[in-house]
Amino acid sequence: MRCNYCEWRCELAGGDFGVCRMYIEDGGAIKERFPHSWSSCIPSRIESIPFYHVWPGSRSLVIGTCGCNFSCRYCSNGFVAKEDPGLVFDGMITLTPAELVRKARQMGCHNIVFNVNEPAMSFPTLVELAEVAGGAGIPMGCLTNAYTTEESTELLASIFSFFNVGLKGLSAGFNREYLGIPSAGPVLRNIRRLAATAHVEITTPVIELANDNELDEIARFIADVDPEIPWHVFRLLPEHEMKEARYPDIDAIDRALRSARKLLPYVYFHNFVGSDWVNTICPGCGATVIERFSLGCGGDRLHSFNCDGTVCPDCRREIRLHGVKVAWNAGEVRP
Amino acid sequence: MSLAIIDAREWQNVFDLRTGAKIVEESPLLGMVREVQARRPYPGDMDSSGNRWVSDTALDLMNRYDPSFVFLTYAQQFFSGRYSIQTEKEWGDAITDLYREVERFINLSGFTPVIVGTGDMTPFVDFIDVTQLKGLVLATHWSARYAGLHEPSSGDLKYLDAHSGIERIVHRDDFLRLFAESSGDRSRVPEYLLVAKEGYMFRTVGGAFRRVRRVPAQSFFIPVATEMGEVSTITGIRGLIDSGIGKRKIALIMVEGIGLRDFPWASQRCDNGREWFYHEPGDGQYLTISTGRHQLFDYPTGYKYFEEDAEKKEFPFSGYFRSVPEDTLAERYDVRSISVGNRSMFMHMATGTDISIECFARNLFNQGTMAVIHRMNKI
Ligand SMILES: [Zn+2]
Repeated sequence: MRCNYCEWRCELAGGDFGVCRMYIEDGGAIKERFPHSWSSCIPSRIESIPFYHVWPGSRSLVIGTCGCNFSCRYCSNGFVAKEDPGLVFDGMITLTPAELVRKARQMGCHNIVFNVNEPAMSFPTLVELAEVAGGAGIPMGCLTNAYTTEESTELLASIFSFFNVGLKGLSAGFNREYLGIPSAGPVLRNIRRLAATAHVEITTPVIELANDNELDEIARFIADVDPEIPWHVFRLLPEHEMKEARYPDIDAIDRALRSARKLLPYVYFHNFVGSDWVNTICPGCGATVIERFSLGCGGDRLHSFNCDGTVCPDCRREIRLHGVKVAWNAGEVRP
Repeated sequence: MSLAIIDAREWQNVFDLRTGAKIVEESPLLGMVREVQARRPYPGDMDSSGNRWVSDTALDLMNRYDPSFVFLTYAQQFFSGRYSIQTEKEWGDAITDLYREVERFINLSGFTPVIVGTGDMTPFVDFIDVTQLKGLVLATHWSARYAGLHEPSSGDLKYLDAHSGIERIVHRDDFLRLFAESSGDRSRVPEYLLVAKEGYMFRTVGGAFRRVRRVPAQSFFIPVATEMGEVSTITGIRGLIDSGIGKRKIALIMVEGIGLRDFPWASQRCDNGREWFYHEPGDGQYLTISTGRHQLFDYPTGYKYFEEDAEKKEFPFSGYFRSVPEDTLAERYDVRSISVGNRSMFMHMATGTDISIECFARNLFNQGTMAVIHRMNKI
């Protein structure tokens, strides 16, 4: 029996777990090996995930499971995403959807964001969670590589209302060598699909001499889908199999983004301490409408939110925002 | 104003430590520190040359600043012991390497050492699962022994009471009473402090899930190696160093993850706490050594740290610190002082030295280094 959650469409006959090792065939159905088991359940600033245009300033509960369907040579979460799930499982926590939503409330979180690994590795659990979270008025978003099948991309769109999609490279050679997948085709298709009905931001980690020559082409693709999609260009820290690689040159990448900035109003370049490219500039008048501070590696934070609701205070142009500013402690529930 | 210089590899920026605002400033001292950082990229928490980086960076800085007091932390064995070392032989080798590296620094610098072990490590035994409680349990993932319990149900307390990994459950009033003289905002202290038996660790929501091999061991006493005089308590180390400042050049050297059992120097035995409480390696222990007073309640174990993480939080590079702690070791010294360490990002807050350089790592991700210059008026 085939698993149709992601583009690998693995055959799970005879007790195989497939590429991600997270599903198994059981009684004629594809089932999760580790339902409701979480590798992460921790409050975080939404900017640090990163979402720059979603409820700025809000506190998110960051959740994750384990398992991944890519084999990125530079994976920074390899200790969860790339470990055999059977081994990581020992360190995981088990929470039902109702318990998890309760923890989100207890820690004053405004929304829940799936991060760390791929949501496609835990579809049935996430469907259940979305139902309970939706009932409690807690929105859900995720980071994803969008390597899902067409049918399960619909499932993603039904679970989450905001996405940050990793678009790591376009050429088949790069996708094969660095990510371990045959092509970026399904990812591009799914970005179009998700952007049609949900809030989408895109993240591209830059690897010098591997995908830095594709930045213009990626920018053109995004502009064609929707030029207002915020684009996060990441300075990649060499991790996992690439630990020995050199650190990418910040000024060189900044220069390489010049033409992209003409096509897209919301281009951000970060993932290193003190980045100068994390503020939102009004595309209408050039005013700084949202200021942020970057500590690199999951340390970004809102510095000041200057919009008037969702518009520029100076020229009244609409700024792409999925939700307005939320006070950091707005979700606190005191007994 | 204190300056923070971040070196993110081939890219440096200077900030106001308090506000995080970028600063354009040049001075010979600032330029000197920036050059040292550029020459000494941090190899990473799990890299075998992590301790060598501490000595080399310190010696480089000492050559140019000529300090009379140096505060060093060697932590590489602590990280590898925690996450990767599996056999006793490998652990023994790590201690031998540490010993050689510290001795190399002492020989090259000629400074009088005061070496402090922060406590032994012990193999991880099991988790105490507190994720199913009605109340909320919070702990920093560096701590094994302590966690804070908020708003527990009576069922929660029953469950914890019966758990074989729990040594004791301490009501906040009793904890506050034990350290009545300790300063800090007591409202942050959780309702209960949970205390685990040796080898256990709390499995909380919000845990980090790198597989842990070793955790801090029971350390009611810690070793101190010094020829400067007698010392019997962790709060007495400060006075010992104060008394020698101006008379000789002193290096306070912290070795992480090493206690009485594994300490490779002849040592004196210092108490490391009070009654059932002892300090685990971390900022509280550093601040206690540095100020000469037990420091427990400014950032107490298991408090709701995330509530204070709002926008415009001051000291954005300093973790949960909201201010520079008062009366730290080198703050009032007339002589020049530096600190260098690879434990984490509290050296610049805990030591009071004129200049500090530390690794800028988050959850073992190597972001480069941070230098802090607290004062420039000694040259
Ligand atoms: Zn405007």
